[in-house]
Amino acid sequence: MTGEVLRILLLVLQLAFLGILYLVLLAFARSLMRDLRSAEAAQQQSQAGIGRLAVLESPEDEPPMGRPIALGPINSIGRNVNNTIFVEDDFVSANHAMLTFRGRSWFIEDQGSTNGTYVNGHRIDRPVALSFGDELSIGRVRMRLER
Amino acid sequence: MLLPLLVLVPLGFAATHIATSGKADVGPMQLAAAYVVMMLAAHFALVAAGHRGDPLLLPLVATIGGVGMVMLNRLSPDVGKTAAFGLDLDIATTQVLWFGVGVAAMLAVAIGLRDDRVLRHYKYTWALAGIALLVFTFLFGTEVNGARLWIYLGPIGFQPGEFIKLVLVVFIAGYLAEHRTLLRDAVWRLGPIRIPPLPYLLPMLAIFVIVMLVVVFGKDLGTALLFFGIFLTMLFVATGRRSYVLVGVLLFLAGSFVASRLFEHVARRIDAWVNPFADPSGAGYQTVQSLYAFGRGGLFGEGLGQSLLPTAGGRFFGVETDFIFAVVGEELGAVGAFALLALAMALVFRGLRVAMLARDDFSAMLAVGLTAGLGLQTLIIAAGVVKLIPLTGITFPFVSYGGSSLLASFLIVGLLLAISHRNALAADAEAGRVERGP
Repeated sequence: MTGEVLRILLLVLQLAFLGILYLVLLAFARSLMRDLRSAEAAQQQSQAGIGRLAVLESPEDEPPMGRPIALGPINSIGRNVNNTIFVEDDFVSANHAMLTFRGRSWFIEDQGSTNGTYVNGHRIDRPVALSFGDELSIGRVRMRLER
Repeated sequence: MLLPLLVLVPLGFAATHIATSGKADVGPMQLAAAYVVMMLAAHFALVAAGHRGDPLLLPLVATIGGVGMVMLNRLSPDVGKTAAFGLDLDIATTQVLWFGVGVAAMLAVAIGLRDDRVLRHYKYTWALAGIALLVFTFLFGTEVNGARLWIYLGPIGFQPGEFIKLVLVVFIAGYLAEHRTLLRDAVWRLGPIRIPPLPYLLPMLAIFVIVMLVVVFGKDLGTALLFFGIFLTMLFVATGRRSYVLVGVLLFLAGSFVASRLFEHVARRIDAWVNPFADPSGAGYQTVQSLYAFGRGGLFGEGLGQSLLPTAGGRFFGVETDFIFAVVGEELGAVGAFALLALAMALVFRGLRVAMLARDDFSAMLAVGLTAGLGLQTLIIAAGVVKLIPLTGITFPFVSYGGSSLLASFLIVGLLLAISHRNALAADAEAGRVERGP
């Protein structure tokens, strides 16, 4: 008699354990789905840019610190205000460097600047392919390429 | 998402106690309580620190680990005591202590690692440290069950393989992030054949081959397979070239064939896989018993505490480590085993999402490699236990008994949390820009 009761009790516990496990799974699945949908919506809104520059150091605050710069396919960088990316710094040349997206990769090319263009601390002497996460130094301004 | 744990783990403990003692009371609950409180505390610590990392990672891990704790609590009397931390403890208590160490390490990495430069800039140093550790194990390690995996420092033994996995992922991520464009776009043409630029591949290949050789000669096949899988996944994600994967898989098959001819222990494993019933009480014993366990479990399982596997013939080995998935299959049935795999899949999904949202190549590659590590490890051991692939001894992440494995897995989650925290901060900065407008 008690054996029978115990057996039923165990069966109930077993099903309860599995039931809770599946409820948890369901909750996870729902929040994964919700997340997926909101990610899709966000992507449609912003139509996925090709990259941005995070400003790590900018002594004259132009470009302003902490605000990433959205990039087009061709970006000129320099102290001349007609550049796409205007940099206010005495160590930057008027037309300093070009940052371009060609095919699948970003490239940086120095435009004969006085103080040079640095990628991850190395001065470049020809167009260089960049990876996301590489650090650019132009004058005293440091920026990082991000996706 | 952590709240169901409050019911799930104690329920499992109670069911186990009733089934094994035959008395209708809930039995000792200290370990269940310790586990649940620990996970809730970890959650609140992240919230209190203002952590913005992925909010689902910890609950997923805690649920998988909760099922593992129920299983280990159940297996504890059958496996007996171990001498861990210099004390005589049963394996469930030891595992709860290791969960504490793991969670602390996870929090330290998730909250403390504000900058990944320590990892990125010293990748060769990390690689060398990893190789040194590997060679040290190979030379001075203790051999257990035919594989030389353990180093003993006084009373505490650990498996360096688990940590070398982490170091290897950090190194490959750093290397690929630095040379990705070259590996992807530059090609040497040899007539009609396009081959990747070898000079750029070589440093990575060299370190990888060294690791593989030592692992294979240490007879640690599961880890070798895992490392290779992680490597190929990362290479494919970095370059998008299917040819790399194809060549890698072909190389692996060729290597396996050669290994099965050269090494007796590899050949034995493969024989036991092809036909375990040829020698059901000898070489095929483990596999056969594991298959029987899944058979007994059926759809809904025999019930917690009622597995025959730990006592089957008294000589079944590794019930709390490699074969814990078979015990899950027997006690919770196909339904429970499936739930565990689905939870692991959700964890992989979240990990890849962290990688997708990463702002730089290194973080993305790191997240991919770490996630692939967890996912492949689960896949390899689960598939091995059900005889889908030859059985190789590795642990089921967050479920199997073992301090090194648990600590390494929690370090992985800590790193994923740290990366996703930085992603969230970057997204905030961007949103700030949009709001202010031109």
